[in-house]
Amino acid sequence: MIDPITGLGLVALMGALATIAGAAEDLESDVGSQSNPNSQVQLAAQMDFPHRIFNKAISGEPPAYGLWCAAGATVASVLLAQNMSVIFAIAIGSFVGAILLGLYSVTAHMGRTTSQKRFKQPIYMDMVIGHLPPIMGHGYIAVFCIVSFSYIMDHMLGHPFPLPLLAFLWGITAGAIGSSTGDVHYGAEREFQNQPFGSGLNAAQSGNIVRKAESGLRNGMDNVWACAKFGGPVTGLALGFTVFFDNWRSTVFSGMNAVIAGLIIVLILILANRLVEVQARKAYGPYKDEEGGTEA
Amino acid sequence: MIIDPITIALITLGGALIGLGVHFIPVGGAPAAMAQATGVGTGTVQLAAGAGLTGLISAGYMYNFLATSGSFTTSDLILVLASGAVGAMIMITVTMFIGQLVYVYCVGVPPVSAKVDKDPITGDIQDIYVSQGTEGHGVPTVSFVSGTIGGLFGGVGGSLVYVQLMEIGNTPADPAVVALAGIFATGVFYVNAVLASYNIGGTIEGFHDPKFKRVPKAIISCLIASLICAIIAVPIMGGVS
Repeated sequence: MIDPITGLGLVALMGALATIAGAAEDLESDVGSQSNPNSQVQLAAQMDFPHRIFNKAISGEPPAYGLWCAAGATVASVLLAQNMSVIFAIAIGSFVGAILLGLYSVTAHMGRTTSQKRFKQPIYMDMVIGHLPPIMGHGYIAVFCIVSFSYIMDHMLGHPFPLPLLAFLWGITAGAIGSSTGDVHYGAEREFQNQPFGSGLNAAQSGNIVRKAESGLRNGMDNVWACAKFGGPVTGLALGFTVFFDNWRSTVFSGMNAVIAGLIIVLILILANRLVEVQARKAYGPYKDEEGGTEA
Repeated sequence: MIIDPITIALITLGGALIGLGVHFIPVGGAPAAMAQATGVGTGTVQLAAGAGLTGLISAGYMYNFLATSGSFTTSDLILVLASGAVGAMIMITVTMFIGQLVYVYCVGVPPVSAKVDKDPITGDIQDIYVSQGTEGHGVPTVSFVSGTIGGLFGGVGGSLVYVQLMEIGNTPADPAVVALAGIFATGVFYVNAVLASYNIGGTIEGFHDPKFKRVPKAIISCLIASLICAIIAVPIMGGVS
């Protein structure tokens, strides 16, 4: 059993690593276009809007990140068993995870785009080559950080799960959070900047994504540049909060007190959500008046 | 050949709780990612699994702490289940809250439900806040509370499956047994989350959504599927005497 001060320091370090992991995870899914917003990228060509946006939805983000992280952590575990230094073992493991991500990205993009031949959507080889390093780079950072905080949890805080299983579970959680938070910035805002702001996406406009960039034609790099200003950082916050709060309560408190501390955190978040809701309703107002007519 | 029926029954119950919990979680799928539907912008299985498995990590930690320091009693079981539930609830509330911040401050839409005229919890009018061509957006209070309840059920269900599998071998410190129980619990979680998501059919706002009335069908399906999972899992974990 480690002393509480060291434990708290480790939990803080885990929170910091999770924050970086969450941000990198979301930005990887923006530059490569994965998860739900990619449905619009896929649809665009079918609606006669050919584009230069990377189109890879290998699977849902949670299983995808579960796979990269589990692969990375498995390699790291094997190397650790051979007495390799921790940093090198995790770095090499994460590199393997990033290579897997790169392989799947190319096959997913090419497979999806060739299936759209009848809609005259070309495969731009320069785009494939240009997008691959940022996809793998962001993926590497995410996998490295997730495997690292899983290692801290496993080897230093005494979690019973083996490192690959822990990294697998945290990878699923990271993917679920990235898909639920930061991707909304990409899907609801960045992809549809040609629509009036503050009204959501009218279903009639589905597939009509923005295809022109600040300069030239828009691609995944332009999307990640914008999403790095809000979607990425808040995703990092979400994963960081989850990892930090969940481990903080079980480090500082024990037994039923840890459960009560967790319930208090949940209650505070419910109230905070209500405050945001009230503020949003007040700031934006209704779309129609009380009788059902449309307001200006 | 004897298989403990209580273990089988509790694993089956855990699976049914997972299936029930998924129905509470407000997910809007791909439309919600475009602020076209109320709920979190991801798939049912994805979010439920993310929350439930975070709960499993918490429950695993608590179980290890209690089981290795002496005999594992019923009050210990309750503590492990509570720990799993709170872990899942923290993940889902943090995700919904940060998702809400994106909807409000980035997309610029107020949280609103399109399935009810008034929020059953706050009493706020809903329909006039629904933007044209959408089926709501964001996570209103009723959906937020529903999601929290979903996290609770999912966390308890996943933890119950894990604890029952661990109790079979009664070797809480054996990493191979821990890994096997952990991955089986994850598998049972996915089986039930996918079954429930077929029942939901893409999007659900929470317990106030008319689709929530389909819950009994999902419970029956989850009971059957979890029973089969349990019958396979228990002998593999060494539960045949």
